[in-house]
Amino acid sequence: MDKNKNFDNWLDIHGISRREFLKYCTATAALLGLSELGFATRIADALEAASKKPPVIWLEGQDCAGCSISFTGSLNPPAASIILDKISLRYHEAIMAGSGHLCESTCHDTIQGGGYILVVEGSIPLADDRFCMVGGRPFKTIVEEAAQRAAAIIAVGACAAFGGIPAGGPTRGIGLNKALPGKTVINLSTCPVHTDHLVGTLLYMLVAGKAPALDKIGRPKAYFGQVIHDNCRRRSYFDEGLFLEDWNDPKQKDWCLLDKGCKGPDTYSDCPIRKWNDGINSCIDCGAGCQGCAEPDFYIGMAPLFTAMGERSQNILARKKAGLIPKMETT
Amino acid sequence: MRKRIVIDPVTRIEGHLKIEVEVENGKVKDAWSSGTMARGFEKLLRGKDPRDAPFVTSRFCGVCFSVHQLTSARALDKAFGARVPWGGTLLRNLAMGAEYIYDHVLHFYHLSALDYIDIMAIANYTGKDKGLLSVKDKIVGLVKARDTYPLTPRYKPDEFCVRDPDVVISAVKHYIDALSMNAKARNMGAIFGGRTPHYQSIVVGGFTQYPDINMVAKFRSMLDEQAKFVNEVYIPDVLAFGTGPLFPLAKMGLGGGHHNYLSYGALEKDPEGTDLVFPPGIIIEFGPNNGKVHPVDQAKITESVKHAWYKEEKPQHPYNGAQEFDLDRTGAYSFVKAPRYDGLPIEVGPLARMLVAKDQTLLGLVKQGAKPGAVARHAARAIETKLVVDACSKWCDDLLEAMTKPGFKIHDTDHWEPPAVGMGAGFYEAPRGALGHWVRIKDQLIDNYQAVVPSTWNASPRDEKGVRGPYEEALIGVPVPDTDNPINVVRVIRSFDPCLACAIHLIDPKTNEIRKFIVE
Repeated sequence: MDKNKNFDNWLDIHGISRREFLKYCTATAALLGLSELGFATRIADALEAASKKPPVIWLEGQDCAGCSISFTGSLNPPAASIILDKISLRYHEAIMAGSGHLCESTCHDTIQGGGYILVVEGSIPLADDRFCMVGGRPFKTIVEEAAQRAAAIIAVGACAAFGGIPAGGPTRGIGLNKALPGKTVINLSTCPVHTDHLVGTLLYMLVAGKAPALDKIGRPKAYFGQVIHDNCRRRSYFDEGLFLEDWNDPKQKDWCLLDKGCKGPDTYSDCPIRKWNDGINSCIDCGAGCQGCAEPDFYIGMAPLFTAMGERSQNILARKKAGLIPKMETT
Repeated sequence: MRKRIVIDPVTRIEGHLKIEVEVENGKVKDAWSSGTMARGFEKLLRGKDPRDAPFVTSRFCGVCFSVHQLTSARALDKAFGARVPWGGTLLRNLAMGAEYIYDHVLHFYHLSALDYIDIMAIANYTGKDKGLLSVKDKIVGLVKARDTYPLTPRYKPDEFCVRDPDVVISAVKHYIDALSMNAKARNMGAIFGGRTPHYQSIVVGGFTQYPDINMVAKFRSMLDEQAKFVNEVYIPDVLAFGTGPLFPLAKMGLGGGHHNYLSYGALEKDPEGTDLVFPPGIIIEFGPNNGKVHPVDQAKITESVKHAWYKEEKPQHPYNGAQEFDLDRTGAYSFVKAPRYDGLPIEVGPLARMLVAKDQTLLGLVKQGAKPGAVARHAARAIETKLVVDACSKWCDDLLEAMTKPGFKIHDTDHWEPPAVGMGAGFYEAPRGALGHWVRIKDQLIDNYQAVVPSTWNASPRDEKGVRGPYEEALIGVPVPDTDNPINVVRVIRSFDPCLACAIHLIDPKTNEIRKFIVE
């Protein structure tokens, strides 16, 4: 994360120093003869309420708005409280009130001020800038400008992180890993971004004042540290070689989805534990299998998605045969 | 004096849209609609396993994802010769129904309402309702902290903006409540769809999520909560606004257009698919004396690229449509192709569906003087949301009945492998209107793929004959008394619920260097 004065300023208020701040409030309260912690907390909260919220600029490029929809899907905490209470959302095309030059100037002013969190959704066309224009300007230029003074950059979704589906198309979409070489980018790379991954990352940054620990390709280890296959509830059927063939058969409904093209053994994400939509369901749970959307070579590297006849799936099977994917130990 | 106004980007829509209008004597005299982003998904799909298409085309749009997945699967069903069992259809419909419910509520509160209220009127609320007072505290707190993003900046409220503090504050409370209702409706869809956005379980031949009784019970319980919100909050709000402060806008027919309306029909109520929640049909030049609904003939659909950045010349049927970009082509100003039906520009969406369905509630409003236009679009959207809620309840019953019978099926597994050759078209109704996907298969791979999405119809540019697309036509005559504040322009555009990512098109940056108003 870049060192930035403004960012440090708001981190001073929102971040780790909150503890110090509370200590200070407690001391103040004690001096005043009001030693209850509750009172001190109230002082802290009141002072915090008057403080500045971290500015956020959310840019959309070659996107489908699915990550925006995923973001607004947060129930606990509610999306409204994140948008109105926790952050100062300066620019988000799908949410903000203004249009055209009104919001373009807000975006410009926020960039001038620096110290904001930059969230990028969607890829950047490599084939020709004109494949993605916003406000009359190439999206590529907009991202490059916004990245200059950002305190932190989050790529939401597969497209912004690594190019996603557009990477395999005629516009040759690229992610921030290629568009912003040398910049630290937090990659939340599922398609779409997982609500919890984004909300959790934002909250972590507000509380800790820094980016969470990242893996080699910029993904938070807390969310992308384990391979899906190792936590899959269908794992024992994989080990036994029982693969679902017919979705109509209740007996097979929990069997392994490898034959239907599941890419779980090649994909890192906590989907099987966290699941999606407040734990209601997930790709593997619903019988469709994992399509590898958290990985840098998604979609082209994962296709064909729904059959084991593709190279990727054949490779997984070969590894299984060679004993390179050992059975889960049952203790 | 003529003045040219460019609004870029138009916000609170899905995707990237630029609207350009020419204003003379306080009214819009001419208009141009251009999308500004392309990804070339159809071309990307060539040479891929056809079974990938529903997954990939879901990413046309992260707002109305399920209908792309579903319509793509329906095109493949035809091409594969698959017959979806009734269980599979019911599950597809329930997943689809959840999307309708969340999407329409989202459109009214989060994408549109800010155009019709003066949010700062909240400060004048003097009532005692605790829930509303907490909303007042929140908004006043933002103002005091001098940080009212993203509620500002905004266009100045005009004479049609509601300023009554009681009305505004409850609208804003509903805006906040609706965010949670949206999230819950999407969670409801995920019970069967796997997750949202972007379901996983709609595939060629049917559905992958084998249902159990708890899932149906959970869906129904969540549906009840949605029904309560739709019936007691959303519909009353739309009717209160539409027949109250916005009635003058409805009466003047703000944002009317060509008055040609198309619905492909969607959402089967029976296994035969004869009884649909949204019936198919087409109306040409709807008026006080003409509501005649004609049958739809998909062979009459063509796409013109006269003003779009593609290499082909003559209007083509989508089966033959190409997707070779030509960024330097002169005379083009958008990469939305211009779909036409029998050569005519057509509006699609909730208003089209409810007129084609001869919905009595909507026709009642029309009789009272509400001309089909921006306000009527909001009304139609609310009316049909209730139809979908009611249909979902019935599908839950039907699913329970089907599940408890022997031989219950959700998928046509015999037709899972792609055919050597084949072609198929899928037609459905997206929340935003008529949606068609066309696929041709060769050597078990996709040979050609085309989609004509609702916003391609609505946001289309001029065609071979120079006839404007629906957005463009709807803007003609729209009052813009203050050219620095073109609030009516965005009201009209947003009433269509634009979804530009799927409309797929480009513009020339050389003619698009402006973000500010230009006086000619």
